[in-house]
Parts: sequence; C-alpha cells; structure tokens
Amino acid sequence: MTIKEFKLPDVGEGVAEGELVSWLVAPGDRVEEDQPVAEVETDKALVEVPSSYDGTVEELFAEEGEMVPVGDVIISFRVDEEGDAEAGASDDADSAAASDSEPDATADEADASAGDTAPDAEPAAESEPDTPSGRTFAPPSARRLARELGVDVAAVDGSGPGGRVTEADVRAHAEGGAAASGGGSDGDAPTPRPAPTDTGSGERKSAVSKRGSADSAAGAGGDAPEPAGRETTLATPATRKVARERDVDLDDVPTDETRDGEAFVTAEAVNAYADALESPAEPTAEPEPVDAEPADAEATPEPAATAAAAASGTASTERDGDETVPYRGVRRTIGKQMERSKFTAPHVTHHDTAEVDALVEAREELKPKAEARGVKLTYMPFVMKAIVAGLKAHPYLNSELREDEEEIVLRREYNLGIAVATDAGLMVPVVDDVDEKGLFELADEVNDLAARARERKLKPDEMKGGTFTITNFGAIGGEYATPIINYPETAILGLGAIEERPVVREGADGDSEVVPAPTLPLSLSIDHRVVDGAIAAEFANTVMEQLEHPLLLLTE
Amino acid sequence: MVVGDVTTGTEVLVIGAGPGGYVAAIRAAQKGLDTTLVEKDAYGGACLNRGCIPSKALITGSGLAHEAGNAEFMGVHADPAVDMGKMVEWKDGVVDGLTSGVEKLCKANGVNLVAGTASFTGENTVRVAHGGEGQGSETLSFEHAVVATGSRPVQIPGFDFAEDHVWSSAEALDAETVPDRLGVVGGGYIGMELATTYAKLGADVTVVEMLDDILDPYEDDVKRIVRKRAEELGVEFHFGEGASEWSEAPDGGYLLHTETEAGDESTYGVDRILVAVGRQPVTDGLDPGAAGIETDDRGFVETDDRTRTAVEHIHAVGDVAGDPMLAHAASNEGIVAAEVIAGEPAALDRQAVPAAVFTDPEIGTVGMTEADAEDAGFDPVVGQMPFNASGRAMTTGHTEGFVRIVADEEAGFVLGAQIVGPEASELIAEVALAIEMGATLEDVAATVHTHPTLAEAVMEAAENARGQAIHTLNR
Ligand SMILES: Cc1cc2nc3c(=O)[nH]c(=O)nc-3n(C[C@H](O)[C@H](O)[C@H](O)COP(=O)(O)OP(=O)(O)OC[C@H]3O[C@@H](n4cnc5c(N)ncnc54)[C@H](O)[C@@H]3O)c2cc1C
Repeated sequence: MTIKEFKLPDVGEGVAEGELVSWLVAPGDRVEEDQPVAEVETDKALVEVPSSYDGTVEELFAEEGEMVPVGDVIISFRVDEEGDAEAGASDDADSAAASDSEPDATADEADASAGDTAPDAEPAAESEPDTPSGRTFAPPSARRLARELGVDVAAVDGSGPGGRVTEADVRAHAEGGAAASGGGSDGDAPTPRPAPTDTGSGERKSAVSKRGSADSAAGAGGDAPEPAGRETTLATPATRKVARERDVDLDDVPTDETRDGEAFVTAEAVNAYADALESPAEPTAEPEPVDAEPADAEATPEPAATAAAAASGTASTERDGDETVPYRGVRRTIGKQMERSKFTAPHVTHHDTAEVDALVEAREELKPKAEARGVKLTYMPFVMKAIVAGLKAHPYLNSELREDEEEIVLRREYNLGIAVATDAGLMVPVVDDVDEKGLFELADEVNDLAARARERKLKPDEMKGGTFTITNFGAIGGEYATPIINYPETAILGLGAIEERPVVREGADGDSEVVPAPTLPLSLSIDHRVVDGAIAAEFANTVMEQLEHPLLLLTE
Repeated sequence: MVVGDVTTGTEVLVIGAGPGGYVAAIRAAQKGLDTTLVEKDAYGGACLNRGCIPSKALITGSGLAHEAGNAEFMGVHADPAVDMGKMVEWKDGVVDGLTSGVEKLCKANGVNLVAGTASFTGENTVRVAHGGEGQGSETLSFEHAVVATGSRPVQIPGFDFAEDHVWSSAEALDAETVPDRLGVVGGGYIGMELATTYAKLGADVTVVEMLDDILDPYEDDVKRIVRKRAEELGVEFHFGEGASEWSEAPDGGYLLHTETEAGDESTYGVDRILVAVGRQPVTDGLDPGAAGIETDDRGFVETDDRTRTAVEHIHAVGDVAGDPMLAHAASNEGIVAAEVIAGEPAALDRQAVPAAVFTDPEIGTVGMTEADAEDAGFDPVVGQMPFNASGRAMTTGHTEGFVRIVADEEAGFVLGAQIVGPEASELIAEVALAIEMGATLEDVAATVHTHPTLAEAVMEAAENARGQAIHTLNR
C-alpha cells in the first residue's frame, strides 16, 4: 500500500487558486483514474478535477468553499500495489507522503526553492513550466512577508513586470485566502503550508492587515481616488514605465510604503490607482455626512472605517439584514472584463428591427426535418449565418484593435461567441468557423455549448478565440439593449425577442397600414475607435436583409 | 561532575565565533535572547584570522607593489622594495582591529563570551573546556544551540602542515619572508589567490593541479583570462598532476614530486610548498553525536532551510553546514538561525549567493550561468560588455575581462552574472541585488549609472542582452 498525495493541478492558464466548490468523493470511496473527485471554481470556470490514481480515498485536505492555491495537496489516495502495479504506482513508491510536506532541504538545496519535490504528481508538475525549477521572482521583503502570513509565495499572482510578486500581492493573496476560509484562523488550515515556526503574535497580524487595507483602499474602485500630489516619489524603472503606459503621474499614486523616508510606489499601486481612475465613482449610498456636520466629531472615524472595510471586504458597514457576498471567481472576472471593455472602447449602440416573417416560416419548415435528425433548431443558427454575411461585407466589424502596435487586425476566421446566462454569471462559449458550418451543425453546437455553460462544464479553450459576439437577451425578454463589447472584439449584436409587433406595410389597396408582424429587434454595439456609425448601420442592414430573406442564407 | 564544574544556563548557545557564529550571537542578543558565545581560539574565526581578511590585505599590498613597478606605460617609474615582515605586521594590525571590534560588538549587544572548546554532552548541554592546564571546565545548559565551528584546510598524505616548509593558507598569510620558489598544490580559489600574491611579491610560483584547468567551477572564458594573466606574472602551471610527496634537494631546497594518472612522475624545485586543496568541516572535539546530530560522510552537518539540524533546537551554520563555504553565506545563515530561534518566520530563501575570487583580474559571479539557466528550464538570453570598451577600465590600465549577464528571455528577469576584470568582486553586488529583487534587464539598463565607472559595464551588458547596447555591437 502506498499513500499518494494529489495536488490541485493547474486548471487553466494563469489560474493561481480555485475555490473548492464540492467534493465528489469521501474518504473510503474507491476511485478510478480520471474519475472526477472534486469541483473547483476558478475565476475562469467551474472544472472537475480528475484523480490520477486507482485506489481508495484516504483523506481530504480542503473544506468545501475553501480557496486552494494551485499546487496545494487537496486529497490523498491509498493506492493498492498488487492490482495496479503497472499503473505506475510502484515507481513512485519512494515519494511517500512525508517527503512532500516536510521541508527537508539542506542549506544548498534551499537555493533551489521549495518547488515540487514529488516526481509523480504530474498535474502539479504541469503547472510549472512558467517558472522553471519552482523559482518565484519576488524580493526578499515579499518572501519574508509571505512566510509571516503563511502564504506559499509560489501560489501568489504577481502584478509586477513579468509577474514579479510584490508585498502587496502577497497581502492580497493572504486576505483572499483568509476570507475564503470564513475567517478561520491560520491554525485550522488543513493544507500543509510551509508553516512558519511562529505565525506571529496577534499584534503583528493586525499591523499587517492594517497596512493591507490601507493599500487596497487606495486602489479600491469606490470613490475616485485623491491624487496624492507629492513632490517626489521613488519607484523602480519598471514601475515608472507602467506609470507612463497608464498615463499616471507617479506623484499622484497613493502609497504608504517608503524607502529612505521617501514615498515608494510599486507597479501594483500604479495599476490600482489607474484602475480606480478609470472606473466611475460608484454611487455612494448617501452623501458623506462629514462635511455636512463638521461639528460632530464622532462622525469622523466613520468614513475612514468605511473605506477600509469596503476595501478589505469586511462586513462592518452592513446595515442590519444586509448580506455581503464575496466578489470573486467568475463574478469578478466578468466585472473586470466589462470594466475593461467599457472604459477602453468608446461604445456606440445602433438599433434597428428586422421583419422576419420569412425567417419564421423557414424555421417552421425546417424544424421537423431537424427534429428527425435529433436537432433542436432555434433562430440562432440563422442569425449566425446572417452575421457572417454581414461580417464578410464589413470586415472591420470582425476585427481587433491592437493599440500598442498601432494596428487593427482584420480576423480571417468567423468565430462567434454566444453569451449564455448561467447561475454563476455570464459565459461566452465560442462557435468556431461559423462560415464553414451548416445550420443543423451550428444548432447542435450552440445547444451543446449553452447546456454545458449552464452546468459550468466548459473548458477554458471553448471560451477563447471569438471574433464577434451575440447576446440573446431576448430569450428572457425585451426589445433593445446597449450590449457591452466582448473586448478586444470590435462589435456585439444583441437580439431582442422575436414577437409580433405593429409594423407599417403597404396594404392591398396600396396605402400604408399598420399590421402585426414578427420582428426581431437588433442592438449592435461597436467600438467607435475602429468603425464609425455609418458602417455599423450598413452592417445592420446586411444582417437584416439576410434575416428578412432567408433564402439569401443559402448563398452564404 | 568533575571538581570545579559549574553549570550555567543560557537560552542560546553559539559555538564558534567566525562570521557564522558571531553574527548569529549578536542577532540573537538583539532579539532579546540570553546568548552565550563559546570560542576556543580567536574572535572572527577563519575569515578574520586566517582567511578572507589577511589574504585580501596581502593581495592589496603585493598588488600595489606590482602596480607601482609596472606603470612605465603611464610614465610612472619605480622599483618598489617589499618588506614582507612589515607587510605582515600591517596585516596583523588590520586583523587585530577587526577581531577586537567583533569582541566589542558582541559585548555591547549583551552576548556572554566564554573562551574554551565546547563539546556536547547531551541534547541540551555542552561541556566547555577552558584552554590550558588547570583551567577547568564548565557545563552549560542551553535551550537552543547554533553550531558554527567552521572548517580547516585539508591535509594530504605526505604533506604535514607541521613541517616548516609545508604551508597551509594560514602559514602563507603569516610568512616573514618571501620564498624564492613557491610550489602551490591546488589551483582552486585559495591556491590561485596566493599564487598570484606571491608571484607579485617576486617568488617563482609553480602551480600543480590534478584537473586540467584552474578554478574548476568557473566557465572556460573566465578561467582563461585569469590563467593567462597569472602566466604573464610568471606563474607556471602543471595540469593533470597530483602532488605525491616532497624530498630534500641537494641545493638546500626541496623537490615537489607529482604524478599523473598514467603514473608519469615529475619534480619541481621549490623552497616552500603551499597545500590548498580544499577545506573540511571542524567537528572533532565537538562530539555532535552526543546531542544526536549526525554528520554526512564528508563530516558536514546537515541542515534544513531554517538551518535546523535533525535535532530541531540545534542549528548549524557556515562552513560546517557545507557549501557554499563562504563567509557571507555563513553570516546570512547565522542571521536566519537567530531569527528562527527567536520565533520569526526567517528562512534561507536566498536566490543566489555571490562569490568572488581575488585573483588578477578578479572574478565575481552570482546566480546562474547560461548553461545553468538552460538546465533549470529557462530560455536564457545573455549580454556581455568587454572591459576594453569601458572608458573607466582604460583609465585604470586594466582592460582584461568582461561583464556577462544572464536573464530569462521572456520576462527579462536577471538570473545571473559572471564578471571577470577589475573590481569584479565589487561589481557583482549590483547584480546580486537585481536577482534578489526579481529585477529585469530593463530595470538594470534603465538605472542611470555614474560615468565613468566600471559599474557602467553592468548596465551595458544588460542593454546588450536586450540587443540595444550603445558601446558594443549587439548580436
Ligand atoms: C585563505 C582563505 C581565504 C578566504 N577568502 C574568502 C573570501 O575572500 N571570501 C569569503 O567569503 N570567504 C573566504 N574564505 C572562507 C571563509 O573564511 C569561511 O567561509 C568562513 O570563515 C566560514 O565562517 P564560519 O563561521 O563558518 O567558520 P570559521 O570562520 O571557520 O569559524 C569557526 C570558529 O569556530 C571555532 N571553533 C571550532 N570548534 C569549536 C569548538 N568545539 N568550541 C569552540 N569554538 C570552536 C574556531 O576556532 C573558529 O574560530 C577564505 C578562507 C581562506 C582559508
């Protein structure tokens, strides 16, 4: 019998940690290789983690709902040797559990850092090509802070140039982890972290978190940040470059770090400040009472506490009955993506309505034929084909602006993203090469992707490579919207509900009359940097023409 | 208990007052721990008394004499005479100043100093035998201990350091006169530093080395520059030969006998033989086994990344804990040991330990070579700046060598550097900082460096790696 430890593998690129949503197995269960053992939600998707062994579950090391850094041991298996000798169990026999969890490096090995010592844990090993030999690029101060906070520095997402880990990153990581375990003390963390001899007195911890919240308060999206307006500021050349790129004056970036008594700004702080400048001032619930009531001295501490608490995610500002929900995972990813799109690309939304009598008929006619082949035919494939026709005629809508390179890339492929509402939030699976696929094939693919999106079983790959996105909010109801572009794409088309609405048509007598007819309201948002309104309108016209005369789709 | 045996207790017991031990003791005392430092010989250890400091003093003295006598090209004509006795006296003054400084610092920080040889008598006790007859001994109990007993020169069969004409590095640093002919066994860094020193002081130096080049761990282009320069200074090299024995020569001197692997023998006429073939850990008399500490087959004490031995409350630092066997590594480990004992989250997580060889020209290295970086899985990019393109190097009259910087191509992180040339031991510090900080080539290149300095070469090498050096052609 051998005990095998299994680490949370790299489940998607750049993902440093995931929330262990649920265990699919319990200690004592038999598992087979590739059998899913846990569901983990990263900021990209919900993924199932498969076992790499045949055996029995020995122990679970993480609680449901806990944030687990990639590379941490989450489960151990008892692998029986007789039955599975060929399954590769025997050659791992010496890498018993202990060798992993107990730092046993000699002084010179220590230089090589506490990378992965288990040669057998393949999935974990796969997560390392980015940083060869487990090397993490972080200054000594950040590494020490990581030890102080019990954070594995290798699991921290670095915000510096090339992913360099700053002290602020370490603090952010520590706070994220703490919030996830429901405020539990470090002591209960079941995962074998590199445990410092002494995690520090309560005093030290509070000092650290105070600095942490002050830091993040500077970068929090809340109110537009006050420019610090210093005379001089210290920063590394790489940070200065970030500041130039983000068009931020270093002297304005808030910081409480100092070097030699001078304010010192990190790239992280620059980015946080720039992000905060770009985001709108969030409507505060009520105007700040401080100025209004200068006499009330006791009111003063409140706003400060509010800012700090909001930033650190604590609940001290909740009114009775309010509920605080973590802004994390998929929700935060969507938020960031929306923020980036909306504040990067000047959006213009063009509205029009297609009269789709013929489309409705065409679908009615094809529907039974589709059913006979086991395909559920919606309007979506028709719309996709119509969009491809529009994109071919107006290639700038199928493009991507690369500002840094000063070029617009006209995409040769027609990969359409389909926005799908799921319990966790918006997901956009992508149907590749729509121009090369038939209606039924498209119908099948869309249905499959949408279903898996709802179950949150999409692979990260399936959400990449889109050139244009469709959002079918009409499926839930409504006519027009102002969709946000799926950045860095250039355009997005929103579909309202196909319903009978009054339209003006030429009657039998040659006069105009208002009649009910099925219509499809269209809402097209474009990046005005790339195309002008006229092109958007022309594109919409092409799409409408196709939808109104579905026979034209045959020519596609 | 023997008569006159007194038991005293201490929170932290440090054994050995070299750069590992005295630093650990001071830091532990700074952390408010009751600390006792036991030293059997002299404060400052090998480094201050028989190593780094005395060797650098003689290297500087001999270098100055040599420079002054070889500066005709600058219009300086001189024929300096070296009074070796006086130079050694000056060196001793420097050593005294430093060692008494160490002692004062220890006291000022509240470290209890005990003179004597410590040996473990259990997991929490040592007996300290005070030097000299009738001085007695005492038993000290401790909660934590730091073993910092250092290393000593390796002796080889046939060459007994007790013989007057057989030197270890310690005797080479204490010579009253310069021998006419010096045989050096071993072309490692200590052998090469002293070979260069004595060549500059006027000795005919012959180096025999078993391997086929000097300075084994360094890259070929680095070694070549140092070897060429040593040859210019008159040093004769015999590679692939091991020293087998010595015999008396009819002329009053000695013959150094060597043998190749194939069994070919040679002899070289010498007056003194310096054996510098490596250093071994000092654990004799210490009886580490009594505390449950094991040593590996070479005698080194094994430690983890918090400098702990297998017995958790006993730490080991410095040369006795194995490579890299350098003073600054010992001090770094000493600090970590003290802080770990104080309950702080310290650990040995240094990314790279710089190393310097004080030959002519000097070598300074830190971190990875290009080959190391490849082995580690990086995609390395390399930039180089030869000192013959450095204005400042030209004004010093020393233009051999180069700065080479190794970085990860994609992210630009600086991974290592090899510097050979004037002041390489100083120049390497900048790159060490860059590596620890996770700095990129751009960070180094965009940092303004003073002109005209040798340090500019580091910046230029970084630019060269990025394909945009100004003063060299980019590849
Ligand atoms: C010629 C020469 C040149 C060198 N040049 C350099 C250089 O340029 N740069 C560099 O970094 N390094 C250099 N070194 C190496 C450097 O000297 C050592 O790495 C360094 O001294 C190691 O420090 P340490 O504290 O581990 O041990 P040591 O300095 O060896 O100190 C150990 C101390 O422990 C004492 N001790 C031993 N056993 C006991 C006991 N049982 N009880 C009490 N006391 C005990 C010894 O007396 C000694 O004082 C050089 C060495 C030599 C020989």
